[in-house]
Amino acid sequence: MLGELLNPYYLQVLCFILINIMLALSIYVPLSSGQLSLGSAGFMGIGAYTSALLTIHYELPLYVTILVGALLAGVIGIIVGIPSLRLTGVYLAIATLGFGEVIRVLFVNWESLTKGSVGLTGIPQLGRELLKFAKSIGIEPSALGLKNNQFVYLSLVIVLLIIVLFILWFVIRQQNSRIGRAYSSIQMDEKAAESMGINITYYKVLAFAQGAFIAGLAGALFAHTIGYISPSDFSYHRAVEILIFTVFGGSEVIIGSVFGATILTLLPEVLRFVSDYRYIFYGIMLVILMAVRPQGILDLYLFYRLKGKRIKRGTS
Amino acid sequence: MLKLTNIETYYGQIQALKGIHLEVEEGKIVTLLGANGAGKSTTMRTIAGLIKPKRGTVEFLGQNVTGMRPHQLLRKGISLVPEGRAILSTMTVLENLEMGAYHRKDHDVKKDIQNVMKRFPILEERQSQLAGTLSGGQQQMLAIARALLAKPKLLLLDEPSMGLAPLIVAEIFNIIKEIKEDGTTVLLVEQNAKQALKIADYGYVMETGKIIIEGPADDLLKDERIVEAYLGKKKTTV
Repeated sequence: MLGELLNPYYLQVLCFILINIMLALSIYVPLSSGQLSLGSAGFMGIGAYTSALLTIHYELPLYVTILVGALLAGVIGIIVGIPSLRLTGVYLAIATLGFGEVIRVLFVNWESLTKGSVGLTGIPQLGRELLKFAKSIGIEPSALGLKNNQFVYLSLVIVLLIIVLFILWFVIRQQNSRIGRAYSSIQMDEKAAESMGINITYYKVLAFAQGAFIAGLAGALFAHTIGYISPSDFSYHRAVEILIFTVFGGSEVIIGSVFGATILTLLPEVLRFVSDYRYIFYGIMLVILMAVRPQGILDLYLFYRLKGKRIKRGTS
Repeated sequence: MLKLTNIETYYGQIQALKGIHLEVEEGKIVTLLGANGAGKSTTMRTIAGLIKPKRGTVEFLGQNVTGMRPHQLLRKGISLVPEGRAILSTMTVLENLEMGAYHRKDHDVKKDIQNVMKRFPILEERQSQLAGTLSGGQQQMLAIARALLAKPKLLLLDEPSMGLAPLIVAEIFNIIKEIKEDGTTVLLVEQNAKQALKIADYGYVMETGKIIIEGPADDLLKDERIVEAYLGKKKTTV
């Protein structure tokens, strides 16, 4: 019975949902400070390749390499973020998209390190490492009534879930802090924010780097989930896919990213026939969404209403 | 208190300010008049640190503050109410006011918000309303109230009367007078020259990036050139 429910396929889909939620959040955070960054695919690639190469060549423990991958993405986020400060709106989007392509082309051409477009294989899988670890401390999956590969994916889901919950907790807490207030005032009116004494340079770079860090973390976890990466995993398509998670779900509220990533990861799995036409579907959906509901499925107004608050309008 | 010496500011290749000398004395209202494009707002933006002058110095309280960033200047005590009521439209009125005290670390913020609300009763009434739903005059009051919460020594007001009904304009000018009486120095940029000169102590008139006339406000009100250019000359009947 339990074995039926813990189908490795379902668990793997769940893993991808969790990773995609992280990626959606990596767009949401810079967006909450008014910056539309499409560099998430590039930062994801940096995290993935860094962690994968470190484990393959130096056999470092995964928790170290994943963290190093995320941190490197974050640092590169700062470096890219500073010159990008001069850009806003669509110009920033184009510049960050260009950055992502530069990273991808780098992975394709730096063959001595990245094996070019063939990609890296034999990346240690996080789930298998967890299994090894469990066995080393004397926990046998069979004792828990699980098969080995069930344990592999189940432990992976749990680890990813903890990370996602932690990021969500952090971002929500941050939103209600000084930093969050600074972000949202910059998003609403940069000039007003500046005249209130908010160091907009600092906060914009911070938001950008946080997004890059989350994307790098997601990338590293992605590499250790599927065990094989190639430059095409971090292409333009990925960048657009990540953007759609957030835009579809609703970019004004954090739960929108979670919702968008979940639905849009599940959809191609549930509707197998859609899978091949995914990008056509995404495109059509984006056009309809922009025309009908540009703020995404979930928005602030909806939450005000759910909380029973009435938004007062007008002057009377 | 504030002294600008030979300020030259450029937007790219275009020179917007061509050597501005300007002084603001403590406890006074000083007004900066002029037509569109004269460089009034650029002067304000330069003082607030939003744009760096190419040449010249800005001194505040005897200290050279040229080229400082806006958040540093705010800590020194210069607070700007930008042109066109830059309020945070999807935050509530109360949240907007709290944002005004963003850089402060003391514990009097709550008390100060209460005080400010007493001065602007309409804001107290609407404190939980989204700021974007306020009327133009209310938004301008919110912008001024928010700037006051930064506890500035010098308040820069960039065209507070713009686009407001005459009755509200009169109210805003009354508030500016009160702010001065509470001990905050005010530098006021206005197109509404007559009103501004009535409450001001000293005035400067700008034209194409230069200051062409300056003097005590009472004198300027009578100055023929100003009457003609900005206040509207009385037509003599034939």
